[in-house]
Amino acid sequence: MNADRTLSGDWYPGKIPENVAVDETAYIETSFSFHFFRSRLPRGVEIGRAASTYLGTMFDVGPEGKVTLGDYALVHGARIICDSEISIGDYALISWNVVLMDTYRVPFDARARRDELERVPTRRPRVAAAHVEARPIRIARNVWIGFDACVLPGVTIGEGAVVGARSVVSENVPPFTVVAGNPARAIRQLEPPPFAQHA
Amino acid sequence: MNAPVSQSVALPPNVRVGANTLITGDLAFKRFHSRRDPALVIGANCTMDGVHFALGEQSSARIGNYCYFTNAVLLCELELHIGNYVVIGWNATIADTDFHPLSPAERIADAIACSPSGKGRSRPEIPKLPVVIEDDVWIGPNATILKGVRIGAGAWIEAGALITRDVPPRKRVLGNPAQIVGAVK
Repeated sequence: MNADRTLSGDWYPGKIPENVAVDETAYIETSFSFHFFRSRLPRGVEIGRAASTYLGTMFDVGPEGKVTLGDYALVHGARIICDSEISIGDYALISWNVVLMDTYRVPFDARARRDELERVPTRRPRVAAAHVEARPIRIARNVWIGFDACVLPGVTIGEGAVVGARSVVSENVPPFTVVAGNPARAIRQLEPPPFAQHA
Repeated sequence: MNAPVSQSVALPPNVRVGANTLITGDLAFKRFHSRRDPALVIGANCTMDGVHFALGEQSSARIGNYCYFTNAVLLCELELHIGNYVVIGWNATIADTDFHPLSPAERIADAIACSPSGKGRSRPEIPKLPVVIEDDVWIGPNATILKGVRIGAGAWIEAGALITRDVPPRKRVLGNPAQIVGAVK
């Protein structure tokens, strides 16, 4: 990131918002990733040492939302829909078109949803922003999530776990477990490395 | 990449759009080939952010009022009806066609007809059935809706779900193939 918060070689003429903390060794491909970033927290996004985000990654973060990206984490192109907290641990690998959502942004109740959809056209940018319950997502260190997968609100994915491509994760994933399918099911256990934080 | 949400793109002449409806994205009409008139009718106060309107030559689509779609892909060769207050999440796909025939021999004929040297050749019959999405339906990101499906009013289609059969009103469905896992009000 340059001193004026622009990015070198960026196709989009934007800047990294002031309340996004980016380690000087991290890499962000484009400021367009923050087009839907609306967090009002002092640190709405924290990007760790040597972490990287590539084209297609969107920090769709509401006013109370906070996203943290650990050291050496790599996000290839995820849609991060966050109104509470989404934390991605060190060394995590997140593939393209992955959806991480801690909120549905609209009420389950159809009548209340209509009220919200009538407000959308009045907002700039046009976004859904109803006050509905958001439940944090925690992705521990060393997790690998395959392309097109979805992680639903409230899910915790344990250390070293693997989520297969196109899986939909609706329940917690224990550490060092491979899950796949829609809805995702455990299909294999992995040997924890000697330096694992959780056995 | 899609252009930011700010102003509507230029519309083909056979597209009708209601007041205060916003259509954005460079790819909105990139694969729009419908020759019907009107081919696409969108109501008022809709937000169509980065939606692909991939309408085949003989197809038509109708979308109600107060709909909110983000980067949805609408693949239509026949007929698509979407009601009012429908939400379609990022990267969801709706298709009313099988795209190609099932039978191997017919697929070879179709591959030739679709090839650069297939100009003027007619394609074999391809199964198509209208898709109907009733009022107040919520469709999550990365979901897929296939041909012939009717999604009942107020149904909740979870992120990543693949829908091959009708969904009753106000049911919540999840999975591939999608199963009913609950209900919404």
